[in-house]
Amino acid sequence: MIDFDTGLVISILASTLRRTVPLLLAATGGAFSMRSGVIDLGLEGMMLAGSFFSVMGAWMTGSPWIGLLFGVVFGIIFSMLHAVMHINYKVNGSISGMAVNLLAAAMTPLLLTIVYGLSGKSEIVTSFSNFDPEWLMGIPFLGPILGSQNVIFFIAMALVIISWIFMFKTTLGLRMRMVGENPHAASAVGLNVKAYKYFGVAMSGALAGLGGAYLSLGQMGMFVKDMTAGRGYIAVVINAFGRYNPFGALAGSAFFGFFDALQTIFQSVFPSQLVMMTPYVVTILVIVFGLKGGRSPAGTGKHVEE
Amino acid sequence: MRLDNLKSSKYSNMRSSVVNSFFALVFSLVLGAVFIWVTGYSPFETYKAIFGLSFSTIKGFALTLSQATPLMFTGIAFALAYKVKMINTGAEGQLYAGAMAAALVGAYVTNLPGIVHIPLALLVAFIAGGIIAGLVAIARVYTGASEIILTLMLNNVIILFTSYLANGPLKPEGSGVGQTERIADSARLMRLVPQTQLTIALLIVIAVAIIIQFMLDRTVFGYELKVTGNNRRAAEVAGINVSKISILTFALSGAIAGMGGAAMVLGVNYRFIEGFSSGYGFAGISIAALAAYSPFGVIPAAFLIGILRAGTITLSRTTSIPIEFVDVIQVLVIIFVAAPTMIRQILNIFKRITGKKKKNEIAGGEVQ
Repeated sequence: MIDFDTGLVISILASTLRRTVPLLLAATGGAFSMRSGVIDLGLEGMMLAGSFFSVMGAWMTGSPWIGLLFGVVFGIIFSMLHAVMHINYKVNGSISGMAVNLLAAAMTPLLLTIVYGLSGKSEIVTSFSNFDPEWLMGIPFLGPILGSQNVIFFIAMALVIISWIFMFKTTLGLRMRMVGENPHAASAVGLNVKAYKYFGVAMSGALAGLGGAYLSLGQMGMFVKDMTAGRGYIAVVINAFGRYNPFGALAGSAFFGFFDALQTIFQSVFPSQLVMMTPYVVTILVIVFGLKGGRSPAGTGKHVEE
Repeated sequence: MRLDNLKSSKYSNMRSSVVNSFFALVFSLVLGAVFIWVTGYSPFETYKAIFGLSFSTIKGFALTLSQATPLMFTGIAFALAYKVKMINTGAEGQLYAGAMAAALVGAYVTNLPGIVHIPLALLVAFIAGGIIAGLVAIARVYTGASEIILTLMLNNVIILFTSYLANGPLKPEGSGVGQTERIADSARLMRLVPQTQLTIALLIVIAVAIIIQFMLDRTVFGYELKVTGNNRRAAEVAGINVSKISILTFALSGAIAGMGGAAMVLGVNYRFIEGFSSGYGFAGISIAALAAYSPFGVIPAAFLIGILRAGTITLSRTTSIPIEFVDVIQVLVIIFVAAPTMIRQILNIFKRITGKKKKNEIAGGEVQ
């Protein structure tokens, strides 16, 4: 059975934060994409690409930082498939997003076999260590929770704030949101609609790639086949739940992260398959009952003829 | 006169989509070959191993068809839902639900003659897949929830839940892996070619394709379904119950995917085995795209993809080439089919290059 004491609460909360980070990064990326009027269904594939290539980068160079950069760059590269198909060739955004997801799901096991000769997982690489200076660990309760996070956690928190400021407090952000809401009007006042959409999608690729890198490099130090396990799709829901706002994404990710953390605790008591279902069931309940009244930017999926 | 125009436009639409699919497949194979070559393997050897199997022996051909059978079910499922502009990414989950339902009927309902037992198992699988997809469609219609996300989340839930059943309450005693009790002999599908896995499931799925195609082309429901898919608002104005049509179509789509799961249990594995599907649900998306979302077109399209997938068996046996290349090629097909303008542009580039060559040849001839 499970004993509820401070130690357990601390470990649940620390685990909640660890599980929040990848969702938060991907959902914030999704906010960029949706705000520029491009549906963010490709997050799963961009995340998976980020988690694979970050490990490969770290494996090739021995540096987790370069690995992280690889994750971001390849997240962007995969997002560009979505961008080119949807923005240039006017393919339905759901289809082009799914194409990214399916491509990443097919490419990563293939590259795993080619590069490592192993099927299913990569070799272990140097990963990020926890951020646990003594002054932080000295703080009661909060210390051990924050101390068991690595540096990407703090980067993610900073990125959420920066993204919010960009979207709602800068001219560029305002213009990006205008493109998302009404591409025709944006085009009429002389904005380069395609460029803003490309920017939005590239940001979603970069942040989702970083989120994927957190899963592989930041936690296990290796890549496992199908590592994201639907987190990209959950991030799509969180993004809608958070009304396409980075702070909303933070709240939503923490909510899902909590349920994700609970399941690891309960796996010792209930059959693992049933416990593993919880985050997905929670997602379904949120989609069906929790998204009422929300609406996506009015210009989503609309194109402007030149 | 107008009817003639309509017919010829329908014919030219069909022809352009066949041309589009053909080039999409060719480009995917070529790009796949480039990719295979870049990673240091021989594209020639790969494609020889893949295509050699299907066309050298009857058994190889039967293997291809048996590999294609579940893909036909999931391909029709995706194509049908796409007719009302809904995306059924849940075929994988519906397949598992149908398989579990068929396995239960096959193993625990006994003392029935085959002529009753098989249709009963198929029907229960049909209902299982249909209910799951129907609930998704209801959520979609009444709350506006994305059917894509819902079905993808449900896939995980269903796969985990059936895996729990196969590892827990339904696991036969002494079994090492997650599976259910073996089905009764009366529930087994008849084989078409002895000593292969090719069963009458193939005939069943062809019948399903014909029925669905007939329904689309010749019935009121099919007509209303197509109008709904083409222009939801116009359909509403015309008095079509768009919600009802969407829900029924999506439920039917899931039901067909569920039957695909039953075909695997009754024809191939004779029980539910956890993780039995090697991505049949998602392969259905490539197949439907390749078939330009025509239910009957799914049959040849699934056969083509079946060649690739059956070929992986010889590929892994005779060479060291990773079989995952085939998955990548399948995705390339979706990408190319989805963007017909991209194909036209590539063809134009080819035309320009070959056009220039011809000019050069003529110029060269004159010099001599």
